[in-house]
Amino acid sequence: MKCHNRIDLRPSRRAVLSGAATAGAALLAAPFIARAQAAEIPIGVLLPFTGSQGAYGPDMRKAAEITTKLINDAGGILGGRSFKLFFEDDESSPTAGLAATKKLLEIHKCQAVIGIWGSPIAMAIKNVLIQANTCMMVSGAANAITDGDTKGLVWRYQAKATDWGPGMAKAMLSRGWKRVSILAQQNPFVIPMIEPAKKVFEAAGGQVVDSVVYNPDQPSYRAEVQRIFGASNPPEAVMCLGLLTDFVSIVREVVRNGYKSKVMALSIAADAEGKFIQAVGPDVAEGIEHFQPSPPLGSPTYARFQKLMGADENALFLFAGNTHDQVCTLALAMEKTKSTDSPVFTKAIREVCNPPGEVVGDVVEALKKVRAGSKIAFAGAGSDCDFDERGDQLNRHFGHFRIEKGKQVLVQVIKGPEGTL
Amino acid sequence: MTAYLVTILILVCIAIILGLALNLQWGLCGMVNFGMAGFFALGAYAAALVALSGAGTLAGIVVAALICAATCGATALVSLRLSDEYLAILTLGFGEVIRLVTLSESWLTGGSLGLPGIPRPLWGWVSEQNYELLFLALLVVVVLALFLVLEVLIRSPFGRAVRAVREDDTVASTLGKNVTMLRVKAFAVGGAIIGIAGAFHAYYLTYVDPSQFSAIITAYTFMAVIAGGRGSNKGLLFGAATIMCLIEGSRFLKDIVQVLDATQLASIRLILIGLGLILFLIYRPQGFLLEYRLRSSSLLARSSLNGATRMHDFKQEAS
Amino acid sequence: MIAQVVLNGFITGMIIALPAIALTLTYGILKFPNFAIGAMLTAGAYLAFICNSILQLPLLLSAAIAAVGLAATVVIVDRLVFSPLRERTTITLLVASMGVSFVLENMARFAFGNSARSFEAPIVRSMHIMGLRINFEQIVTAATALAGMLAVYVILRHTPLGRAMRAVADNPALAAVRGIDRERIVRWMWVIVGVLTAAAGVLAGLDRAIDPLLGWNYVVTVFAAAILGGLGNPLGAVLGALTLGVVEETSTLVIPPNYRQVVSFFAIAILLLLRPQGLLGTVRVKK
Repeated sequence: MKCHNRIDLRPSRRAVLSGAATAGAALLAAPFIARAQAAEIPIGVLLPFTGSQGAYGPDMRKAAEITTKLINDAGGILGGRSFKLFFEDDESSPTAGLAATKKLLEIHKCQAVIGIWGSPIAMAIKNVLIQANTCMMVSGAANAITDGDTKGLVWRYQAKATDWGPGMAKAMLSRGWKRVSILAQQNPFVIPMIEPAKKVFEAAGGQVVDSVVYNPDQPSYRAEVQRIFGASNPPEAVMCLGLLTDFVSIVREVVRNGYKSKVMALSIAADAEGKFIQAVGPDVAEGIEHFQPSPPLGSPTYARFQKLMGADENALFLFAGNTHDQVCTLALAMEKTKSTDSPVFTKAIREVCNPPGEVVGDVVEALKKVRAGSKIAFAGAGSDCDFDERGDQLNRHFGHFRIEKGKQVLVQVIKGPEGTL
Repeated sequence: MTAYLVTILILVCIAIILGLALNLQWGLCGMVNFGMAGFFALGAYAAALVALSGAGTLAGIVVAALICAATCGATALVSLRLSDEYLAILTLGFGEVIRLVTLSESWLTGGSLGLPGIPRPLWGWVSEQNYELLFLALLVVVVLALFLVLEVLIRSPFGRAVRAVREDDTVASTLGKNVTMLRVKAFAVGGAIIGIAGAFHAYYLTYVDPSQFSAIITAYTFMAVIAGGRGSNKGLLFGAATIMCLIEGSRFLKDIVQVLDATQLASIRLILIGLGLILFLIYRPQGFLLEYRLRSSSLLARSSLNGATRMHDFKQEAS
Repeated sequence: MIAQVVLNGFITGMIIALPAIALTLTYGILKFPNFAIGAMLTAGAYLAFICNSILQLPLLLSAAIAAVGLAATVVIVDRLVFSPLRERTTITLLVASMGVSFVLENMARFAFGNSARSFEAPIVRSMHIMGLRINFEQIVTAATALAGMLAVYVILRHTPLGRAMRAVADNPALAAVRGIDRERIVRWMWVIVGVLTAAAGVLAGLDRAIDPLLGWNYVVTVFAAAILGGLGNPLGAVLGALTLGVVEETSTLVIPPNYRQVVSFFAIAILLLLRPQGLLGTVRVKK
């Protein structure tokens, strides 16, 4: 495979040196098969399809495939080269994720590894990718992912975990809830939210009555629900920080017992791309509010993305949009630098994403503009795609929703912390 | 390609070390350890914490081995009066306790965030590109050393006595063997080996978190030991490699099959692993290789052998 | 508050009791701990889910079909997997059941994916009786579990089949001499296991949500309950399950809830040290 890459590089160098005609001749001279293979740029997509996080993989896969088709059908990048995706299952386990990453790097020679949902998995494979000088685009929230010397290769398409808590607390305060409790799953992106959230409540004169952390995969959450919701002086609202399956159990228990405290959850649990309402039915879900770093709702990019995914305008894609953005920014940065080499093209990610520049959401159009040499600021379907120099996202919007008659109703949009661009 | 193979081989080596430990505890002594994953986690966290404190990676391995030996020994001591199934649940429960502690005591273990940035042994001796090869070489040396030590141990009077206890502890005790101490010692030695495996796992990943130590590790280790032939350390080398090939090889299957969605492919992969295991048990019950046995000729040649062993070997020879 | 917690623990124990009886029956007759009990529970829940949510049948009928379906499934599994391994060691069978567990759980995942599902049963608000909150699912759970336990008791104590089962469990060789067909007894045992486990699957699905890991989450607790009660003793399994349920739930009043599984583990460890044969187990003579 390596030698094919070299064959591919040679014509492009000559093209620079001696003009298009020589390049054309060189291309013709290259063996047909080698050219066909070299034309494809292998991209690894590491996602959970089994294990406790298995519910989140399939939509992200679909988004990656759709976006890739969009780019490839429009002629690809770098003068006709197309993306080829290789999917691997991380089995929700860091060790399996590591083996899968090695396969993506060594067998498929992937130029970048994207997807990467779970924070522990991102942590386990980070060093491997950095050492292999390969770009890594993650959807995990744990702060530690972008810590340390990343050589500029690690990019997070998600808000940092510590940014979620204050936003959620603000959203709850805006609803007038000052006496609250926290019920959280022991999980690496949830735990860092708790302390910052508490601080915001206390600063606003509110009170966090009680907080309970439970383990994932328990047979029942009755005791936890009882303690938080069934307290003798129950809180006005409860911040439920968990994932889909445990949240379904918790809500059923709350509704069954007729507890009165309001529920504020993460959208990853209370929407989960429609799976929550599908699981409990609209009556049980009625009135539950949820919050999460959200896609740019109402933006044309997001609307088009919903259509591409075959969903209606009510659908809330929390992670699939980020996968779409990962594929798009990869294409744009590669096109901008005329390189598929990670240390080179990652330098251009901020250039094609951050303002100033013409805001473009359609990746095909964006590619045309980049080729024409104009400065763009790509705005994606998962976020506006603005990054700081560590690879963390800036200006994330947080959506605050309420479930009414089985539909998501947007309550408000809360802006995350703004950084200097 | 090479680096992928190196990774697989490193994982195979760690699986072999775990398998050697289980082969000693279960294969040789007949004591079931269903808490493999828990002790493995204990070793990994111990090594990680020691190495992160700056005491060095060798100290990490030693501490991991000692801690696991101590806890395994204590578990064996506690479960002395219990039969196999109860020891199984006790070790399973112990594994759960370790999982919950690693998950909940974040001041020590980092909770679900885990411990990143664990130093690696011999780091800086070679270039970063070649480091994994060096790590593999180191692991192979460790595997060989453990293998030789265990083979010597099995053939030693201690090993024979332990097997006598496995076959019939009443006979062994009437022959003057201290059954209690034998079981505790053997289980502790097994624990030390699990600790070493844990340490290398932590060093290889440079990151530990609770989700790495799920019960599936216990299942895979049992599969490796069974595939290799219970009690046979040589067979285990094949067994562990086969299981790893099954687990990793099935990744390539989905590159060929294109009709199903990813979740379905992933589940088919695990179905195949389960089916493979069942078919193995049914059609290849003895595993790849048989347990080491004394031949009767060598037995007769050595008159100083103790009766328990002789009895055990004759019994097996006869069966 | 304490009364409420004890009641909740009791109900949790009831759900665990059914698979614990199933586990202990298998152990009594085939002498191996069936690790696939969790996956069988999941399979039962999904069978009922197919009938209830896809075929739109009432839940009760769905549960009945699931019970029959799961009973048939486990009899087939026994025929294909456990029966060729019948004379092998406990641990071989146990590892084989691990393999079965992999296959069943992933068949459910293959068919329905990973997301949580629920039965089409409205959630009914709880009632207040003497200051205690009791909800509909809890009553259904208690009733089903009690009916299951009673049925097993009657079968084991008062039918020829039950007598034969106990004979095989006590001494297979002697039972064979008396002309008892062991394989027939084993088949009926699997039928009972299937029905009990499917019932537990439906109850668990009602209590929380159905996902491929549903049964897996119960495995450790079910094993603990069966062992606490003394493996092989159905009444012991019930007692073990109820004790575990109550101990785990009440412990949350004094320790952080996420450590409650540790409490049940220590309860087992202490009990086993005092009574190595379990709560109701009899001392077994080795060999």
